Amino acid sequence: MTVASPAQTLSSCARAASAAELRYRIQRPIRPARAARVVALDDAAASVLSHIADRSWANARFYLCERTDDPAVFAAARNGEADLPGLPEAARHIALREIGGPSFALVGELTGTDVVVLVATGSTGRDYAEAIGRVCAARAITTAGVVLGADRDPAAPDAAAGAVAALRPFARVLLPTADEGDLVELLTALRV
Amino acid sequence: MLRQDINELLTQTGPGTPMGELFRQYWMPAMLAEELPENDCPPVRIKLLSERLIAFRDSEGRYGLMDEFCAHRGASLWFGRNEGSGLRCPYHGWKYDVTGQCIEVPSEADNSSFCENVKLTAYPLVKIGDLLWTYMGDPATKPPLPEYEFALVPEEQTYTSKRWQQCNWLQAFEGGIDSSHVTFLHSGGLKTDPLFRGAKGNEYNMNDTKPFFEVADSEGGLFVGARRNAGDDGYYWRITPWVMPNFTMVPPRGDHPVHGHFWVPIDDENCWAYSFDYHPVRALTPEERQAMLDGHGVHSKNIPGTYRPAANMDNDYLIDREAQKRGETYSGVAGIAMQDASLQESMGPIVDRSKERLVPADSGIIKARQKLRKAAIALRDQGITPPGVDPAHHRVRSAAIVLPVAESFLEACGDAVTVRPGVPQTTV
Repeated sequence: MTVASPAQTLSSCARAASAAELRYRIQRPIRPARAARVVALDDAAASVLSHIADRSWANARFYLCERTDDPAVFAAARNGEADLPGLPEAARHIALREIGGPSFALVGELTGTDVVVLVATGSTGRDYAEAIGRVCAARAITTAGVVLGADRDPAAPDAAAGAVAALRPFARVLLPTADEGDLVELLTALRV
Repeated sequence: MLRQDINELLTQTGPGTPMGELFRQYWMPAMLAEELPENDCPPVRIKLLSERLIAFRDSEGRYGLMDEFCAHRGASLWFGRNEGSGLRCPYHGWKYDVTGQCIEVPSEADNSSFCENVKLTAYPLVKIGDLLWTYMGDPATKPPLPEYEFALVPEEQTYTSKRWQQCNWLQAFEGGIDSSHVTFLHSGGLKTDPLFRGAKGNEYNMNDTKPFFEVADSEGGLFVGARRNAGDDGYYWRITPWVMPNFTMVPPRGDHPVHGHFWVPIDDENCWAYSFDYHPVRALTPEERQAMLDGHGVHSKNIPGTYRPAANMDNDYLIDREAQKRGETYSGVAGIAMQDASLQESMGPIVDRSKERLVPADSGIIKARQKLRKAAIALRDQGITPPGVDPAHHRVRSAAIVLPVAESFLEACGDAVTVRPGVPQTTV
């Protein structure tokens, strides 16, 4: 007579869900997000990014979005927009200036990535959000928006609400928060 | 992903752990009232937050919840005789009242004061709605009783069930604030489940499989808004409230009853899913109540006499690949509750979150973890009372609504997500 061992009598699911079986999960390192871009849409947001950028990140790059008349950036934008029919003229004058670094044309810099995180404290970056949103939509890049709270500027209590409204059409996920730590938490969770 | 040390902090709820102490700030469902149906009925063994307890209802109808084991030799009081206003250990006759106070030690002299110094750890047990609630924290900081709407409406308007889930509470809870899985995992149920089908909102759900999300703080936790296209009408919003640490609601569909859950840790590898349905302004119909008893909607069909689902890991959840091929179920597992539970249990008793690959759509989960961690640490280091303790935080509702494109869900839905007695839920 053959006697089944306890392991043999368990169903497939019961056996697979046991703590003992968890030890056999493949331990290969998980790839980080691909070239994540974290973009401040206003100066206050850039100030936050300036100290977050100093942390250890996998591939993330941190920028301030700004308008530019630099002919080199403009030309680079022209060269990089073949896949962006109907891009508004204004978008060609938008640059991403790396925190503590050089500027790049928006359309050229939003390539080879699978997530863009927009960070705002007010509604002044609405046009930037739209331009980034259009480029990301055309290139199937997921966008997330973090709005840092209204209590940052007592003189502008509606700033955060304005920022939420500005980002809503263009961010797949919106996270209004009073806590900068939420941005760090989001970026960490996304493995950027 | 989540660092391993933070994962441990969030998943361990035994005595003395930061999350265990956090949970002990709140009133929690301990059991269904039906488990103690009459005075002097059999006592019931329960485990909560990794503590072994015995619950009983004495001759006067008072509820007691205390250490499962007799102070004398450690025998289980599950064998106790519930009689004469107390629970007596059958081994040597020691007897306890509902406060855990020993009231008789037969071996001692008749007038001995010995038993006055014997008291088992005990917690209050209070009936509100279909549930018996307990508070396992410091008596000095016991908060007012909970005020969740599902437990306060007249009994003909509400129904609660429970089921054992074989994984850590956080795995189960995170499903409760994860709106994006509904379109896939539960797609069959939206078409056929008697407690879901027929709502206009279901069409919006199925027509737009890539919702946008907004995650907003509330006083007691979060509101997670999921936005889908509603054609020319605007956006279809489904708003899921979370009240810390473990109460979630599901946005309603049509005039169906509103449902939600409490996710209560049994120990670190098991939890109770309490699932409720209620209607704010009308009695549940006999058909609705029968559907709930039959395990439809968020409820489960349990093995008779137990709270273990009939479809469970020991029978591979009765997975039916043919039903899956026919399009009746998305995963092959029947029923909303077990569709969720099967996948959450498949992650193992405590999933290793350092191996996750989260995406922006998981922001509600990311934010909830952050809030739990901060609250547990603030309580541990500074004694700060966490959100969700104040009964005012319990007076929330889920909502489903179509809004013009430009409107903010929170600004437009302040009333919709607040309990208003006598006012129906906001639903599509």
